[in-house]
Amino acid sequence: MLPMPGPGAVARARPRASRDRWWGLAAVAPALLIAGLVVVGGIGMSVAQSVGLVPLVGEAAFTLDAYLANGDELLTGLGLSLAIATASTVLSCVIGLTAAIIITQGRSTGRLVAALSALTIPVPHLVGAASVGLLIADSGLIPRVLGIAPTAWPDLVGGPWWVAVVLEYTWKESAFVALVVAGVLATRVARYDETAALLGASRARRLWHVVIPLAKPAVIVSAVIIFVYTLGSYEVAWLLGRPYPEPLPVLAFRLFNSITLTSRPEAAAVAVVTTLVSLIAVAIGMALLRRTPLWK
Amino acid sequence: MSASLSLDALTKVFDDASRPAVDAVSFSVAPGECLAILGPSGSGKSTVLRSIAGLDVPSAGRILVDGADVAGLAPERRGMAMVFQRPLLFPHLSVLDNVAFAATVAGQPKREARADATQFLELVQLAGFGPRPVTALSGGQEQRVALARALAARPRVLLLDEPFSALDPELRSDMHELLAAIRAQVAPTVVMVTHDRDEAAIVADRVALLKGGRLLQHDTVERLYTRPVSLDVARLMGGRIEVPGTVRDGIHVSAIGEVPAADGETWAEGAGVLVVRHEAIQVVAARASAPEGFVAVDVVVAERTPRGPRAELALAVTDQAADAPAGSVDSPRLTAEVPASRPLAIGERATALIPRSACTVVAG
Repeated sequence: MLPMPGPGAVARARPRASRDRWWGLAAVAPALLIAGLVVVGGIGMSVAQSVGLVPLVGEAAFTLDAYLANGDELLTGLGLSLAIATASTVLSCVIGLTAAIIITQGRSTGRLVAALSALTIPVPHLVGAASVGLLIADSGLIPRVLGIAPTAWPDLVGGPWWVAVVLEYTWKESAFVALVVAGVLATRVARYDETAALLGASRARRLWHVVIPLAKPAVIVSAVIIFVYTLGSYEVAWLLGRPYPEPLPVLAFRLFNSITLTSRPEAAAVAVVTTLVSLIAVAIGMALLRRTPLWK
Repeated sequence: MSASLSLDALTKVFDDASRPAVDAVSFSVAPGECLAILGPSGSGKSTVLRSIAGLDVPSAGRILVDGADVAGLAPERRGMAMVFQRPLLFPHLSVLDNVAFAATVAGQPKREARADATQFLELVQLAGFGPRPVTALSGGQEQRVALARALAARPRVLLLDEPFSALDPELRSDMHELLAAIRAQVAPTVVMVTHDRDEAAIVADRVALLKGGRLLQHDTVERLYTRPVSLDVARLMGGRIEVPGTVRDGIHVSAIGEVPAADGETWAEGAGVLVVRHEAIQVVAARASAPEGFVAVDVVVAERTPRGPRAELALAVTDQAADAPAGSVDSPRLTAEVPASRPLAIGERATALIPRSACTVVAG
């Protein structure tokens, strides 16, 4: 005869579940502590510094002077950073999604695209930025190979449209999108694609009605990651952009390294604004994600 | 919605495979007929279905729908719809939009497509489920929606790839009834793959039995059970009685005695194995005489296995039991089923009545 749970079984199960939960929490506590210290501590320190509560010299006093000291540059930088991040995110998602669809077709072209994407991921952005500069600057490899004079070559590096910066981000991040989305699609898209085909959907209709909707959550998550990264990344914009106007992270870094000690709170203010925009972007992304039927 | 389908020497050899997955399979399905492709795992039945659908490209042979070869036609242009073992409902669409999918992708306005889909949801007895997300459905409901979605595409041939095998027996039985109701209403041509011979018997008009990529027999369900063309067919259909012997002048002579062919039956002369369904064997009191059309064999109960409300008996032929110990693997045995309440114990003598009309002889 099988043992049957007695009336006390539920009562006994409850403390055990509670104990398991505490064990689980204790197991992740070290990781939570480190992440919490960095995120909360870093943001808290920046906020405190930006409002004058942690001055390098003088008395601590609450003030918003740091936010107002570079008001114009802060606004221009914010607009520029948003434009660079938006352009890079949109282009990366479009190209990455296309690449992911090609990868999941399972043909030799797909394998080539997957290999290229995988090779792109480990290259650091700094190396990527240097390479893009060497390739498409007016004195770069491409105009030389094509025999175009520097004066006839458009200002891609350091130009008014920040083309090289967006290009570098797009190159790296589209590979990221491709692999993330392909990973999601590979596990589910083939059978749904067959089902849709047997219901009379052409290749284009299948793409529009099945593949893209199935890829949507992965694309949204990737887009949020890319947007936040490109908004806060310093080195690519610094290397390939023009000296003025400065995107937020370049402005923050310059102020942070300034010999004027009073610039520290201003650098912190720029960092806080950047963080705030990033958090808003994450919130919008999560709201979009929750609205997708697949998330439910 | 009902087209005829013919397969003419369909062959499929996968890359790097030593033998064909499907080897020159030919059969035809009449409009409105339901054919079950039955076979064990690896028999090539799903490959046949995928080839018909256009999901696999055949290595040789032809697939004709209403007499026209569909070779080279993409799956979306063949006018087939398929229901798989998993329902594969599009997770980003509601129940109604799933059923309306075929009309939507055909360019029909959304309102019309949904109105059309509503009828098919009613057909599968899920009226009112339209606005629900597919995640809110049970396994059986999901498969009903998948069926409605396939039917809403108005396929010329409806393909079912073991669609009910993941459901529990009660749900499966409901789905069989539903399929029968759908067939009565819209009479689609159906080709269904299954490894369950009971399901094939319930659902299909005819069965194509496959083994190792080869078609063993294409026949009505009843004939597959009672008139198998080979020992393989008899075994795959669950036959348990095989009596080797020799046919002389239309009479099978073996350890169980002489069994004459039933009227209208002709058996090939020479060595042959007599096969008969164990369900046809009657077990009566010992030394009973055979009524007209039956052959009586004196037996002793060698084994008794409970099968729920029935009991399965292994019956050793009495003469032979004297020579060979009960349970000897070499001795031909009869198998019969009796109600569990019948007190036939091991060692008890009885008479097995074999109806001549249920016997057939196949090559050994």
